[in-house]
Amino acid sequence: MWAIETRGLRKVFRPLIGGNPIVAVDNLDLQVPVGCVFGFLGPNGAGKTTTIQMLIGNVYPTAGRAWVLGYPAGSIAAKRRLGFLPEKFQFHDFLTAEELLRLHGRLARMERGRLQRRIDEVLELVGLAERRKSKIREFSKGMQQRIGLAQAILHDPDLVILDEPTSALDPLGRRRVREVIQYLKQRGKTVFLNSHLLSEVELSCDYVAILNKGRVVKQGPLEELLVNRSVVTIEVSQITPAIMEALQRVARKVQPLDGRRIVAEVEQEQRVPELARAVVAAGGELWSFQAQRETLEDLFIQTIEEEGK
Amino acid sequence: MLTITMLTIQEALRRRAFIGTLILLVAFYGLSFLPKAFHQAFGGRPESFEMGVNLMILFGVDIIKFFSSVLAILLCAGAITSDIERGYLAAILPRPLHRFELFVGKWLGVMLFCSANVVVWTAMLWLSVALQTKPRAEMWHALPWVLLYPVLYGTLAMALSSFCSAAIASMLTVAAGAFAYFADHFLRPLAAFFDVKLLQTVVYLSEWVVPMAVLKRLVQARVDALVPPGMDEAPPFGSEAVLMFLKPPVRALDITYVLLYIVIALIVGLIIFQRRDVQ
Repeated sequence: MWAIETRGLRKVFRPLIGGNPIVAVDNLDLQVPVGCVFGFLGPNGAGKTTTIQMLIGNVYPTAGRAWVLGYPAGSIAAKRRLGFLPEKFQFHDFLTAEELLRLHGRLARMERGRLQRRIDEVLELVGLAERRKSKIREFSKGMQQRIGLAQAILHDPDLVILDEPTSALDPLGRRRVREVIQYLKQRGKTVFLNSHLLSEVELSCDYVAILNKGRVVKQGPLEELLVNRSVVTIEVSQITPAIMEALQRVARKVQPLDGRRIVAEVEQEQRVPELARAVVAAGGELWSFQAQRETLEDLFIQTIEEEGK
Repeated sequence: MLTITMLTIQEALRRRAFIGTLILLVAFYGLSFLPKAFHQAFGGRPESFEMGVNLMILFGVDIIKFFSSVLAILLCAGAITSDIERGYLAAILPRPLHRFELFVGKWLGVMLFCSANVVVWTAMLWLSVALQTKPRAEMWHALPWVLLYPVLYGTLAMALSSFCSAAIASMLTVAAGAFAYFADHFLRPLAAFFDVKLLQTVVYLSEWVVPMAVLKRLVQARVDALVPPGMDEAPPFGSEAVLMFLKPPVRALDITYVLLYIVIALIVGLIIFQRRDVQ
């Protein structure tokens, strides 16, 4: 069973008067494994938010089907096991943090004793335990985001959908969100993360899907998608002609960056250690040796550019 | 659903619409003591004083009808679409509750809130009368029908709010109410005296748009005894049909029609909300 599964999911928005229909999501096939942190990426207008809205039952698909934890998306059974932090939200600001969570706990039909325990736990988890009696209107944007995260995980859902959870947060707040995501992962929960901050996604996620023009164009484990490039930055005490010669025998391309650093590219990843041996054999003092890894941002830009061709 | 109802009541208590209505009503409350003040200042016959009190009760009931309707429109018109636009429902809708629970919960919250207000305002009117002369019961007899005013207008505004913004929903509700009022108070006499069939059709039609005239007749029947002699009487001319059109009697089915109208408006709003995309 998948945490989220969609088959041929499609959403077309038809303007009431005039204008062309807008295809927001087009034949989307998505599989999110249970227990993973899944990054849902895509440029603006790719259909990410519409997809999420269909998964939580706010928007009805034009065609196709979606399941959340084995239940039809939007069904009460699916919603019971789902937690959601929307991108744009406003809470009733006359409530205190504790009252807000109590309200959401009641809406999630939590039993009273368990609700009180969970309120204490999640407030502690998001770092708002000391502000439990403060009104939401007194909260900064970042604190509101954190109380939003608290309401999303309050009823201990099996799947948590986070739509841009770190957009209003400072670096400390972001780290807190990453910790919460790791905490959820450790407890076997599935986290579906929609974020524009690719570095955040790279730090938190083990699966990603890249969406473009309403379709999934790349999907899989992050480890498999990010290939190790055969480009190495080598730092030596001093670049000598002997080092350059030795490297040129092994590498396809050798380029000195400054007096100490050289960038070398080999044809196969397996030949990377030979570069180190060549430097040492040529009498060079090796200070650092760094294989460059493709980042998620590289993958994202490359994928979207290829799609655009 | 009850959680949503309670939240709606909490929200309504903090709305400017409620505070504004309260301030206006307090100002009007001062005016309710005018009969006694005039009687003490200028003297006059006890019958005149009694008539002043009667008029004040009639006027008070009208004020309660008006302000409770306005309050219900203002609270209901933004209940769905505006709440979606402002992001209030973003975290509530994914909760395990059916959309009808949210819709009915909100409707129930506003209706309970407005009804409680109507009861309190009626009690204040009763107190004002009791302080000036003896306790009277006419306003209490009219109360069940007066309560239907905010329910009627609030439900219409709520149904419209399921697909319109707050401004448009309240504007359309007020326009419908204004049309019904205009048809009943201005077109009806014209249509009756000049026997203009088209105008008569418009008047009939207005009762279908909003059954305000029907509701007015139901309230009027409870406070008719207070109307001073010579006021609101049928003119001493015109055929029986004209007079009947001018002042239609209360029919047994009137209340059924009003209730049916409210239920249908609620169901239509619910169906639209149930079927629409929310984002």
